[in-house]
Amino acid sequence: MNPSLKLFLALIISLEITFTTHLTGNILIIVAALAYLILSRVPVTKIIKPLLITLIPAAALFSTIAFFSPEHNVRFAWVLVSRLYCYVSVGAAVTLTTPKLDLIHSLEQNCHLPSKFAYGFLAALNLIPRIIQAVKSIRVAGEMRGVTLHWWSPTLYFKAILAAISWADQLAQAMETHGFVEGAPRTAAQVIPLRKVDWACFVVILIVIQLILIALP
Amino acid sequence: MKELINVHNLTFSFAEQEPVLKNVNTVFPAGRVALLTGPSGCGKSTFLRLIAGLLPKYGGTVTTGKIDFNGQQPTVGMLFQDPLMQFALDTPRHELEFVLENERVPRDEIAGRVASALSFAHITELADRQLTALSGGQQQRVALAVVIARQAKILLLDEPFASIDEANRHFLIQQLDKLVNEQGITVLIADHDCHGYQQLHPLVYQVTGGQVQQLSPTNSQQFLDEADCIARQPLQTQLPLADDIAALALDEVTIGRGDEQLLSIPRLKIIEGKVTLITGPNGSGKSTFFAALARLLPYHGNISYLGTSIQDFSRRRYRQELGLVFQHANDQFLNVTVEEELALSKKNGTHPYFKDHLAAALQLLNLTGLEKRVVYSLSGGQRKKLQLLLMLMMGQSVLLMDEPFAGLDQKSLQNIFTLIHQAQKVRPQTLLVISHQLAGIDQLVDFHLCLTGHQLIYQTGGHHES
Repeated sequence: MNPSLKLFLALIISLEITFTTHLTGNILIIVAALAYLILSRVPVTKIIKPLLITLIPAAALFSTIAFFSPEHNVRFAWVLVSRLYCYVSVGAAVTLTTPKLDLIHSLEQNCHLPSKFAYGFLAALNLIPRIIQAVKSIRVAGEMRGVTLHWWSPTLYFKAILAAISWADQLAQAMETHGFVEGAPRTAAQVIPLRKVDWACFVVILIVIQLILIALP
Repeated sequence: MKELINVHNLTFSFAEQEPVLKNVNTVFPAGRVALLTGPSGCGKSTFLRLIAGLLPKYGGTVTTGKIDFNGQQPTVGMLFQDPLMQFALDTPRHELEFVLENERVPRDEIAGRVASALSFAHITELADRQLTALSGGQQQRVALAVVIARQAKILLLDEPFASIDEANRHFLIQQLDKLVNEQGITVLIADHDCHGYQQLHPLVYQVTGGQVQQLSPTNSQQFLDEADCIARQPLQTQLPLADDIAALALDEVTIGRGDEQLLSIPRLKIIEGKVTLITGPNGSGKSTFFAALARLLPYHGNISYLGTSIQDFSRRRYRQELGLVFQHANDQFLNVTVEEELALSKKNGTHPYFKDHLAAALQLLNLTGLEKRVVYSLSGGQRKKLQLLLMLMMGQSVLLMDEPFAGLDQKSLQNIFTLIHQAQKVRPQTLLVISHQLAGIDQLVDFHLCLTGHQLIYQTGGHHES
């Protein structure tokens, strides 16, 4: 399916379940999303990881609503937990099956997102590993100068932000020296097609979800 | 000969500072190589960035004059000092496609031009690797491929070889020669280490005191000969003796990066109170070796410090014993101004030499009068010198230095050697130095380790940099 349509579908589903309290519907969506992930041959470990991480907030949410709310509403607790898992599995169904660059190209070509945003976003994503590395080396730099930096130390954040600002500036200069001009027309090495079958898929899935949410108890 | 770049009466300054360039008048002929040289902080980089059009757009102001390209608008390509910071995408292929899309190359021509640019830079097999996983030398090759793909008419190189090895330097210079001779590209190189440029027959320009002066042909030749001569001097080092005391001892140590085994060291000792140089090709694992010694990376086997396994020290205690001078000076700083940085090292540092001689050290490194400056606003060379001083002041028994001399000119280098000598006399530290800058370094180092074929081996006599 076209990456942009896939993203919009995920956003629409997420928005919709935010305003419904439909346990069966939520579970069906989770099952469908996981089935899609498995059919797309995403490694099982990659699927399990986000699900496990979600367990902590899910447990907290469940116990709060089920045991500590005035009504002890267990069903509503399950609705909230399933909603949380809906967000995670639908999100995973988009991110784990779509290469970043395809999504960016699709947003640029199919949705006419200004290339400044598309590539700015991509560059920011590519910076994340560097930011993690930077935070580590800032702590080491501190220890070697007799300063222990805790996660709440302002110096740590000051340095990280400073690094990010200088990277942003360098990145802008790098893009410019590689011929990128804001708002100028560009060609495309990879054309991301937006076919009729993509639209058909999009519409059918949306209709099915409405049916599930309305027709099922 | 036709001039391509005309600089008329150019004055440029960064916010509220002395002008970096003052009324510069000069020309650069088309289809030639120009080599800009001068001490660190003299304004070489600034000048290139002005020509590239990055300045004053990204800071500073032009108060008088202008640069013109004979009324044309040639494509200008640039190679930066920090190779990794010039890419927006994740792999060489994606970066090249991005560049060609920017140039509005029709889709069916893109694949062909990507392929020929990759092959020119000899990186076809690296096309789909992550850029972050490539060594500095490989990244500079990708940057060169970008320039080729764009078919730039002017190529600017800002200390492009500061931290890459001799083999990559040689390769890149050869490819530059091809570009100039076969395609008539105009090349401007800012560098302070000017060896190996003879084959490009460059016009030499001296940048000092805000001025850019072209040297006469005789002076140019003499200058290039001298640079080559310094670089050719072999390193004179000796092997450590069997009864020399080891500060660090390695026993059956293996260190990997990802799936690949980088180092395999059966036995090795690093001698206490001495300076040991480590050389080796790019990407061979020199920085990885430091990371393992500093307990920043896992390793197999045993590494001990003065007889005790380094894992038995508490983290805090270990950092007081062993310091690491990062490759990038910015990573070392914790405060905003030079004054604050110095105060922190003064407060927590233990090196006795700097208790009495700090002012002299600042003077020697040409850092006096900069106390109120924000550290990040200093020039590359000034930052490097300040970083080194701050870490020497801390006085750890062992100091690992990763490319501490990159981007420094000969004079600054000499002064740093003097400073380290004086400090070593008062309190000998065990210094381990990774460096590609070998010119004149034998007056500093006692021993020389070379990393080849996953092994670290002590060298004697002439150096074995590949």
